[in-house]
Amino acid sequence: MVAAPFGYQRVSSFDEAVQALHERGEDAKVIAGGQSLVPMLNLRVARPEWLIDINPVGAGPIEEHGGSLRLPALTRHRAIEESEVVRRRCPILAEAAAHVGNVRTRTRGTLGGSLAHADPAGELPCVAVALGAEVTVQGPDGARQVAAGDLLVSYFTTTLAADEVVAEVRVPTLGQRSGWSFLELSRRSSDWMVVGVAALVELDTEGAVTAASAAVGGVAERPWLVPAEVLLELLGEAPEQALLARVAERAAAIVDPDDDVHASGAYRQRVATVLVRRALAEAAARATGNGSGAP
Amino acid sequence: MAETEVPARQEAFRVVGQSPSHHDFVDKVEGSLLYAADWQLPGLLHGKVVRAEVPCARIAGMEVSAARALPGVVAVLTAADVPWNQVLERPTGGLGELAVAMPVLAADRVRYQGEPIALIAAVTAQIAEQAAELIDVEYDDLPGVFDPERALEPGAPLVHDQGNLLVSWIIARGDAAAALAAADVVVEGEYRTQRVEHAYLEPEAGVGWVDTSGVITLRVSTQVIEHAPTIATILGLPQSKLRVISTYMGGGFGGKEDMTVEPYLALLVWRTRRPVRMVWERQESIMASTKRHPFILRYRTGVQRDGSIVAQEVDIVGDAGAYPYLSPRVLFAACATASGPYRVPNVHHRARAVFTNNAPTSAFRGFGAMQVTFGYEQQMDRVAERLGLTPQAVRERNFLDKGDTIPTGERLDTAVAAGQCLRRALAALGEPARPSGPGRRIGRGFAVNMQPYGRTVWFHDRASCWISLEADGSLLLRSGITDLGAGQAASLAQIASEVLGVPLGEIGVHIGDSQLTPPAGGTFATRQLYMSGNAALAAARALRAGLLPVAAEMLGAVPDDLVFEDGMVRERDTGAGRGIRLAELAAACRQRSVPTAHLGTWYAGTGTFDPATGQGASFPDYTFGAHAADVEVDTETGQVRVLGYAAAHDVGRAINPLRVEGQIQGGAYQGLGYALGEEIVVDDGQVASTLLASYLLPNAADLPDVRVIVVESGEGKGPFGARGIGEPPIGNPAATIANAVAAATGVRVTQLPITPERLLAALDAAAGDAR
Amino acid sequence: MSDQSKQRVTLTVNGEHREAWVFPHESLLDVLRDVLGHHEVRYGCGEGVCGTCTVLVDGEPVSGCLLLAVQADGCSLVTVRGLAPAGDLHPLQACFLRNGAAQCGFCTPGMLLTAWALLQHDPRPSRERIRRELVGNLCRCTGYSKILDAVEEHAAEAAERTGGHG
Repeated sequence: MVAAPFGYQRVSSFDEAVQALHERGEDAKVIAGGQSLVPMLNLRVARPEWLIDINPVGAGPIEEHGGSLRLPALTRHRAIEESEVVRRRCPILAEAAAHVGNVRTRTRGTLGGSLAHADPAGELPCVAVALGAEVTVQGPDGARQVAAGDLLVSYFTTTLAADEVVAEVRVPTLGQRSGWSFLELSRRSSDWMVVGVAALVELDTEGAVTAASAAVGGVAERPWLVPAEVLLELLGEAPEQALLARVAERAAAIVDPDDDVHASGAYRQRVATVLVRRALAEAAARATGNGSGAP
Repeated sequence: MAETEVPARQEAFRVVGQSPSHHDFVDKVEGSLLYAADWQLPGLLHGKVVRAEVPCARIAGMEVSAARALPGVVAVLTAADVPWNQVLERPTGGLGELAVAMPVLAADRVRYQGEPIALIAAVTAQIAEQAAELIDVEYDDLPGVFDPERALEPGAPLVHDQGNLLVSWIIARGDAAAALAAADVVVEGEYRTQRVEHAYLEPEAGVGWVDTSGVITLRVSTQVIEHAPTIATILGLPQSKLRVISTYMGGGFGGKEDMTVEPYLALLVWRTRRPVRMVWERQESIMASTKRHPFILRYRTGVQRDGSIVAQEVDIVGDAGAYPYLSPRVLFAACATASGPYRVPNVHHRARAVFTNNAPTSAFRGFGAMQVTFGYEQQMDRVAERLGLTPQAVRERNFLDKGDTIPTGERLDTAVAAGQCLRRALAALGEPARPSGPGRRIGRGFAVNMQPYGRTVWFHDRASCWISLEADGSLLLRSGITDLGAGQAASLAQIASEVLGVPLGEIGVHIGDSQLTPPAGGTFATRQLYMSGNAALAAARALRAGLLPVAAEMLGAVPDDLVFEDGMVRERDTGAGRGIRLAELAAACRQRSVPTAHLGTWYAGTGTFDPATGQGASFPDYTFGAHAADVEVDTETGQVRVLGYAAAHDVGRAINPLRVEGQIQGGAYQGLGYALGEEIVVDDGQVASTLLASYLLPNAADLPDVRVIVVESGEGKGPFGARGIGEPPIGNPAATIANAVAAATGVRVTQLPITPERLLAALDAAAGDAR
Repeated sequence: MSDQSKQRVTLTVNGEHREAWVFPHESLLDVLRDVLGHHEVRYGCGEGVCGTCTVLVDGEPVSGCLLLAVQADGCSLVTVRGLAPAGDLHPLQACFLRNGAAQCGFCTPGMLLTAWALLQHDPRPSRERIRRELVGNLCRCTGYSKILDAVEEHAAEAAERTGGHG
């Protein structure tokens, strides 16, 4: 186990990172937590000429602003998992962070790194897409905002230019009548998801659905957002099992997942049907304050 | 028809039956133990194996000059550099397998992906990697064969010119065909098991150097230092010039029973005359190290209405991979045990090992006797279902008992506590849980097994151990035993302490050196407590017998009245006051020229097996056990959650109960990984993933605690009546889970592992049938 | 401000000040083992999966194979040999010994460090919490039960010593 040689540059600001990337071009890679990149270096499947280490930039606190939480890109998974404000205001994000890898992965791994890595089976990208997270990307011309769903385009591929870095992630806080669910099926505890679902359901005081969103990981080249027209059927309705089952079936019918060593595409599709239904049910139950509602 | 309950034996032991921690375990929790990769020597080079990228090809050319020219590269070796480039295994002593030699480095032909083709030694690991990338190999792909049944068909590509059928064993008794024809009911079943990796946490590793007088010395993680003569032959050296030292291993489970790094390390040391370290990467270990044999098992079981088995036919095909290794022996063990712990008057078992262009398969805890449990224990449940009997009743009716004859024609001469193990495992589970939600179903299953301990008796097995009383009253124990982490060395010390009354802390243990310790024959086949335990017992007793008259004379006592305890010899029942210290006794022996060191050698029983009739002697004895589990199945996703698990084995006598429990818990967990998750997926000879991340070893949160029931019949053939317990507990889990899943859902998954996807497909098929 | 050549890193390992010249591509694992002599930190996979190279970096468990040595510059590291003075066992290690929690011992240092770090955050974790925290430390020998027993026993003893709630 030895990585191919590379040059190494530490930077202490995102501006400096952008400048370094700009100078080094395609042969440079940003290293944040390193939990996905370094295994690829060790196996010599990734062979950058340069590593730009952004860890010295550091992560400020997670802050609540208006209706959203602002998380610095270098916020570690463990910090999200244990953050008081995240647990209170956007618990689905804390739950998803708790599902990432093992304790060492969460100690080092970062939110920005997870999005930039764009693993279609990643927990945080899945939740970011369901939440409609906004990502602040810094480049040579300054900062731009991009929706998580537009940042993640394919397997390990983003719309980040070679000289751009993720600087911050903004997620909406969840309201009183909002419920959430993050469910995943993995072949082993705390392992990569075969399929994972992040769902949000908002109910009115009568118990009818006023808003819903869901993203599914592990079934497409990127976290797959269930189309609004499929979820439309829920609006104004009580979230009953038969309805949720119908919506879940319609949603999963759209995807055409690939096979891999852990599951066939057909099985993933089947599980997506089950988990979308269960996640919507659990989210709806939480929205009514009945958080223990059986999915 | 249950066997007699085995009473708990109450004998007075001082150390046996206690669970003291010992030298190596202190080192392990401190972190101070030096494993094979930890040895540092001045000028150490880094060794690397270059491996074939394709599974079946002619090597049309190999260009190594650029690698040789790279600064920092000290040696690049290919087949042409190996003095004797073949290893010929005769694992059964020539009872019927093909004689096929394996090259150390492939010369003109590669037969599996990952086969070694060249070796590199360089001053840094980075340079060794870069050199490997500079080696240019030109392959002409050849048609390969990757499925053992396809390999048996006429016209299949030949893995070796001698043919694809490595060995075909028959074990037969009575007239199975006639008895099946006459049976009330015949139950048929086909079962498939998968390829799995040992996945010891410590990858294959070692350090070698040239020691005094030109002795090439290898300090490696190996179960078997007795490979030293083979390595000497490869190098063209006399055996006296090749020494193998085994480190305490970071796990082995059979995967370090064949040679791993040894020949490559030896070649690089021999060529460079410098110390060399070689550590296999996890990914190359997953790709190319030996694996457990995938089996195809076909059963036909004939029974009477009352549940009595009258006949069983079993056909087993095992994928041997590209080279023989220990496949002939593994398939023999499968053939011998394929009917399990049951009386079967008419038997026909056939077991074949077949070459393919997959990575070689060889020893892995359970050694063929484990895969067959997945067959015979599902057959027993199917018989019960067909006859409307309970699974337990069918087994109770057919359990072997002491004095019964097994399919090889041998008579069992120690206790068979299979039924007792089953009843106790079931009792330990308690009341079953309720389903946790809609779509969930609960089921209970169990499986009983028998696993041989000790080598097949035709090997005339023996083990030696040397014990000496030192001048200060302490003991030195020397044994060629190797230690896998199960406390193999510590157990010998415990036995010596029991006999000689020397506190454990005053016993020095030196193990695993092919030139300095007496041969113990390798740690495998659950043989070391049986073999080396008996050797240590013999040495300790011989030493005690030699010391006794001297002590009696000194104390003016009758030898029979003397006891050895607390580092003293004293008269029984006289309390602490009267007695002599062992140091005084050692001095007295020296004055009288009485030896204070003894070599004990234990010879196992011998016998012969006739491969033509399928009758004769096989294994010295067996360990019996039963596991039971409650599972919950999510019928919408096919996920199986194990809710409770209990395992009971008759260990004869628990020398160290804590370690016995640890063996059973760990073995059961490995078996559960095999049941539910682990598989090395291979597509046309290409390993689909070589990542440890993709290989689903159970982690701490996957499975419940294994509740252990230790049964002690006192009737094993090891020291103090112990039986081996290293391998047995891995055998039961797969069938236990399959039976529990069937009890929960009514469907049976007959292919391992029982993945959510396979179970869901089986549920779908059953639902389709019902419609 | 740097390139492919060796750089000096300064670390504290088990309370001791250490320096090493390392290439940027060298992992903390390799530098600890081959340069600084800490063989108790072990290579098991290079993927961050097995946990045998666990090191506490500024108090938190990290995969030594996934941290570049240059990234550890200025950090305070603890390996299993730093849990207790030489020749002594930390009470958690003593519990491992007593409970038979080590078999081959290869995973033991990583297990101990991960468990130790957990107990800093949560002195009386439930068995389930311990299981979850240890998922990234694979053991092939024990089936984990005796490791969980050891951690629980130590937590109970520590609570008793400090007069905490038992």
